[in-house]
Amino acid sequence: MLDGLSSSLKDALKKLAGKTVIDRAAVDELVKDLQRALISSDVNVKLVMELSKAVRTRSLEEEPPKGMTVREHVLRIVYQELVRLVWASTDVKLEPQTILMAGLQGSGKTTTTAKLARFFQKKGMKVGVICADTFRPGAFDQISTLCTKIHVPCYGNPQEKDALKITREGLASLKEQELIIVDTQGRHALEADLIKEIIDLNLLTKATHRWLVIDAALGQQASEQARRFHEAINIDGVIITKMDGTAKGGGALSAVAETKSGIVFIGSGETIDDLERFDPDGFISRLLGMGDLKALMEKANEAIRPEDVNVDAMMKGKFTLRDMYKQLEALNKMGPLKQIMGMLPLGNMELPEGVYDVTSTKMVRYRIIMDSMTPKELDDPSLINSSRMQRIAHGAGASPDEVRELLKYYKMMQRTLKGLRGASGGKFNMQRLMKRFSGMQ
Amino acid sequence: MFGGLREKLQAARSRLGSSIQTVITAPAADAEKTGVSDKSASAPEKPSVPPAVPEIPVKPTIVDKFKVLLIERELIVSEKDVSEALSELEITLLESDVALPVTDAIIAHVKKGLVGKHRKIGESVDSLVVGALRDALLDVLGSGFDLQAYIRSHPRPVKILFTGVNGTGKTTTVAKIGSLLKKQGFSVVIGAGDTYRAGAIEQIGVHAERLGIKIIQHPEGGDPSAVLFDTVQYATSHKIDVVLADTAGRFHNKANLMSQLDKIKRVMKPDLIVYVDEAVAGNDAVTRAAEFDKTVGADAVVLTKADMDSRGGAAISIAHTIGKPLMFIGTGQSYDDIAPFEPADVVGELLGDA
Repeated sequence: MLDGLSSSLKDALKKLAGKTVIDRAAVDELVKDLQRALISSDVNVKLVMELSKAVRTRSLEEEPPKGMTVREHVLRIVYQELVRLVWASTDVKLEPQTILMAGLQGSGKTTTTAKLARFFQKKGMKVGVICADTFRPGAFDQISTLCTKIHVPCYGNPQEKDALKITREGLASLKEQELIIVDTQGRHALEADLIKEIIDLNLLTKATHRWLVIDAALGQQASEQARRFHEAINIDGVIITKMDGTAKGGGALSAVAETKSGIVFIGSGETIDDLERFDPDGFISRLLGMGDLKALMEKANEAIRPEDVNVDAMMKGKFTLRDMYKQLEALNKMGPLKQIMGMLPLGNMELPEGVYDVTSTKMVRYRIIMDSMTPKELDDPSLINSSRMQRIAHGAGASPDEVRELLKYYKMMQRTLKGLRGASGGKFNMQRLMKRFSGMQ
Repeated sequence: MFGGLREKLQAARSRLGSSIQTVITAPAADAEKTGVSDKSASAPEKPSVPPAVPEIPVKPTIVDKFKVLLIERELIVSEKDVSEALSELEITLLESDVALPVTDAIIAHVKKGLVGKHRKIGESVDSLVVGALRDALLDVLGSGFDLQAYIRSHPRPVKILFTGVNGTGKTTTVAKIGSLLKKQGFSVVIGAGDTYRAGAIEQIGVHAERLGIKIIQHPEGGDPSAVLFDTVQYATSHKIDVVLADTAGRFHNKANLMSQLDKIKRVMKPDLIVYVDEAVAGNDAVTRAAEFDKTVGADAVVLTKADMDSRGGAAISIAHTIGKPLMFIGTGQSYDDIAPFEPADVVGELLGDA
């Protein structure tokens, strides 16, 4: 779905390519496509209208900086305007504090609470959790099970119906802990009693942070709900959950705009470690389905760092495991490989399906396996014979089959890159593209 | 739950109405000169009907104005102006969480209805604009789903499997439907098929206990297929009417979890697969409904959290995407907060008339 939209955005941008003067019609078209892309990502409609108006005005009025094509100029404005919305990333300090979790039913507060506890615990803090959800059956079982797994003390009482009483007792019982997270019952802004309750909880805990948990799939309601939560307890950060689905999380963007706060964390999986600090670039890239925006920004600032990846060597077909390792690392930040490959104007060239078919867990496994290889092996994978394979597998705690699979994947990547080189033809500046490709890392 | 959408639609309509009216008043004078005649063949001459607005003795409602004016505009004003008017409607639908592709489809449908109307002008003018909208929405929402009748007409036990992504309210919905069916006199057993999420078994267990419904549970981490198989076995041997099978929330893009669901389907052979989603979901509602429908199928839809001031666009999106009837909407946190979905009523309510 969004692929279609981002491609229409790209088509619109293509029309700007090669132009020396801004073409009003092309900008209008681009703005329209941008609107559609954002709306289908669930960004608030009013917000989209404001943003697209700004993009249009600036594109038509501002002079493109020297050395920048019209297309890049417009794209840069789009990017800047988007970043302006989400740039404010809330500071997370490692000091004694209390965090109050708020959000709609089923947005993932309890799971996120456990993930946060884990996050701060790994940073070396003493964390405690209070379960102030007195409504949903099994809520205490859920959070206490999760907390037990990570050895974090969890206070709660499934028999008690008064969330304030539990929290008061919890604060007393966990006063040894440096950081306390209060998980609350799901509520929506129209439930007056529950809003009153969370106001009281906020007063009682004197919470340092009040974070709003937003489901990535939340639609236009996000603005309104966030506004009311903000009125009630002054939200100072937003956590987006369920980013591992296909939802784009535009609702969270609306919530951030509404609360004038930043996105603090992103939840993207079911295990307790699936929580990341928010990276505005990656988020916007995903939102627009375009990977090359950040690279473009860097170009604008003439800040291209020395390339990590040896582009020339790669273009000559020398693509070592070491390059792949760096790519895997970059992919972690960038999102799916398919998206990155999507940046390259390959036309209708078919890439082998298997190239994309590597899950993120596998990526992690691959990196671990490569960590067990010697520098020589990384430079020249053909050295790896069965005894070396045994050693690598042993070192990485993997099976030789996994090592073999990795090598197979490497070969596929190598073939793909060779294919790219072949397909690039004379006119097409592959080198520049690869630079951009690596610039993102 | 559609209150918001209705207001917005009517507001848009009145905006459309007034913007059209300003355009129309000028040609209207000319039209009177040319005479009131349906015989006049050329389209620009047609605005013989606009006097309908002042002529109607009863104070014309916004809806009436809209009906008359938009049609008249179709005749007088160029196609481009109509699409401008429709883009207003488009924004309204988008603001109500109707997903973009679905909005496009509805707008196209309405437009088509209006253009078709163009030729038949002179006949019953008013009903057809609203008719176009109504057709579009009814078309999309389909008919409701009568669970009670379904159960009565099928061999027992009727096995119902609940699916959906994480946090949409499957477990709560299972409890609500259990409570409803029990009140309707059916015997019910619940299978605690969410063996993954911590606390899920306890959650559904507490619900079942409160409602006095038998529940089949396995320990956390067990195979959900096994639990649900046992539940069906229990229902068969105890002559229970309905099996409600809860499952863990899963994302449609996780192949392993989806194939687990497929296995559950093979093992328990559900009669009905109910897809649960939330009314507040945005554009993703379309993607995931389509994926679920494709991989495990869906026979009916339950929309939860409809009390969150949502505009109900998700209902339209999902119904349009998978073409399956909406069975219930969840409207609150207590067991009775569940209501059958009546498309005709909803559309009637949306359009401000019955």
